[in-house]
Amino acid sequence: MLARIMRHEARVLAADRSLWALAGLLAAVVAYGALNGASWAETRRAALEAAAAEEAARFDELRRRLGSPGDAIGVGALEVGRSSGARYAAMPPGLLAALVVGQSDLLPSYVKVTTDGRQSLDGADEIENPTHLLTGRFDLGFVIVVLYPLAILALSFDLLSAEKERGTLALVLSQPVSLRQVVLGKVLLRGLLVVGLAVAISMVGLAVGGGASGPGVLARAGLWMAVVAAYGAFWFALAVAVNAMGRGSSANALILAGIWLALVAVVPALVNVAVKAVHPVPSRAELVQALREASDEAQAEGSRLKARYFEDHPELAGGDVDADEYAVQALAVQEAVEASVRDIQGRFEAQLARQQAMVDRLRFLSPAIVTVEALQDVAGTGAARARHFAGQVEAFHESYRAFFRPRILRAEPIGPKDLDAIPAFTFREEPLPGVAGRVALGLAGLVLPAVLVGAVGRKALGRYPIVG
Amino acid sequence: MLEATDLTKSYNGHLALDRLNLAVRPGEIFCLLGANGAGKTTTINLFLNFIRPSSGSARIKGLDVVEHPLETKRHLAYIPEQVNLYRNLTGLENLAYFAALAGHREHATAGFLELLAQAGLTEEAARKRVSTYSKGMRQKVGIAIAAAKQAEVLLLDEPTSGLDPKASNEFSELLVRLRDRGVAVLMATHDLFRAKETGTRVGIMKRGRMVALLDTAEVGHADLERIYLDHMHD
Repeated sequence: MLARIMRHEARVLAADRSLWALAGLLAAVVAYGALNGASWAETRRAALEAAAAEEAARFDELRRRLGSPGDAIGVGALEVGRSSGARYAAMPPGLLAALVVGQSDLLPSYVKVTTDGRQSLDGADEIENPTHLLTGRFDLGFVIVVLYPLAILALSFDLLSAEKERGTLALVLSQPVSLRQVVLGKVLLRGLLVVGLAVAISMVGLAVGGGASGPGVLARAGLWMAVVAAYGAFWFALAVAVNAMGRGSSANALILAGIWLALVAVVPALVNVAVKAVHPVPSRAELVQALREASDEAQAEGSRLKARYFEDHPELAGGDVDADEYAVQALAVQEAVEASVRDIQGRFEAQLARQQAMVDRLRFLSPAIVTVEALQDVAGTGAARARHFAGQVEAFHESYRAFFRPRILRAEPIGPKDLDAIPAFTFREEPLPGVAGRVALGLAGLVLPAVLVGAVGRKALGRYPIVG
Repeated sequence: MLEATDLTKSYNGHLALDRLNLAVRPGEIFCLLGANGAGKTTTINLFLNFIRPSSGSARIKGLDVVEHPLETKRHLAYIPEQVNLYRNLTGLENLAYFAALAGHREHATAGFLELLAQAGLTEEAARKRVSTYSKGMRQKVGIAIAAAKQAEVLLLDEPTSGLDPKASNEFSELLVRLRDRGVAVLMATHDLFRAKETGTRVGIMKRGRMVALLDTAEVGHADLERIYLDHMHD
């Protein structure tokens, strides 16, 4: 019976020319989004390649210098550590990066690591609220979060009301078929169409975007489809529930458009405002100002800091160690600056973490936010992967400095054989189970409301006014 | 076959149908007469389980329509005043869908065309979109849908209103053929002439109540009209 209803619906939909126009428009929009995402991923890959090439050229140059007779004894460790031997710590684009630009255009995907203080690592790392995406780039993620519900609603806002208004409902229900069965058949057919289309298009986007290889791609693609399907199910459930209230098609359209606007635009904006009001981030200007002041102060007291440094490190003074006085002073100044901005920097980061935690909780207010976060997470363009990367950069920065610090202090030059020993950064991908766990939570945040709204709709169908 | 027992429907205190008792046997055409709002359509909708009775019961083949909504619909066919079909599909496609919903898969296209032809629709018309049909043509598809179901009970809600006399006459002949086959027909109508011609019994309704019950064989055309108008006047 269900199959017959679905076949019939397919025939009715196919006979409606305006729907073909809608489908064409949707396909064009989706293609544009996919292209946009793919080109962004390509841009990022190119930027990483350029950085890697720059580093390789620099090291070649260094190697050439070390090989020349003039520099036979080596190049000063301070110079190598601060500039010529700087390493890039890079995070490759996420496995499905072509699908969602996400926050990858806001967070740095590579950092130049030197022996300079930790503050040198901070680019522009203010974590933008994930909802920023909603007004962000026109990528496949945007299409799915914002336009895909519209397509679903366009197909199903008059799911029942149209049959009632055109008078076919009475004739249908005079047959041995229940209203719930009819609705289920209609929803399933539309669901297969729209969700199938969204999933297929995503996969085409992925194939076109390239870069989708390596372990975990299939699992991530599966998670992506699950999120897309669950998000679609929510909107279908909503359309059924609104139809089940028994109002006319135009009323249904208004109600559903209102809910769409609220969930896709208003709630995310309010969450954004709330997060910023509850956990305001100290202004970046304050951070920069503090950094300058600390830096000026430390520079002015350079010689005193150096003296104290020697006091703190008696092994450097005298004896057989030939300490580089200039290098020691630079190091002492650097550490003093770091110490004095550590507090304000810590506050800054803690506040960002609190914001993120609040977003993580409040996202369940709107399936749109849940979906944005889950899609970014799956694609590898979200905040979590960026944090994962930042942690690795920090650890790498430490090990990089640990390599240079003793050499700088002991005024030991970097020789040809040391060159290959300079630590290099390798990005470790976030383990899949962690990603899957977070996405599963997001999925629950989609499935639960869908089931709830669906149950309300199912119940309301029992009281649906077939006549009058 | 069709049975109403103290069937009552009220909307916010207003009685649309007041304790209707009625039985239609196989091979009988029962005509419900009465002004608009007398409760004729309410009765039909109650038998279709489109609305719930406030009290009393409607039964088809002994089964309560509220308790057995799907089972009772297997036995009935329904032709409303306006047969509304899927406008973007052809008459043939509409018939095929409703027949499939009714559970009749055995008809092939030829069978459906035959049914439509019997109802008076040519093959050329049957293969056109319903949006090009006149009301009479849609009504014919409705008849074919009912015929395809081979139902034992026929519920008709002013099926001939708006049909030209010839089509109306053909429809009456079809009803008589079905009656002779043992179908129980309940028809709401304004057409006293048809009611007398084809009906076996006539019930006159007024403000939700059945005020008169007549055997058509026992009254003449003029009598029926007089009795009807008498009831309408007071």
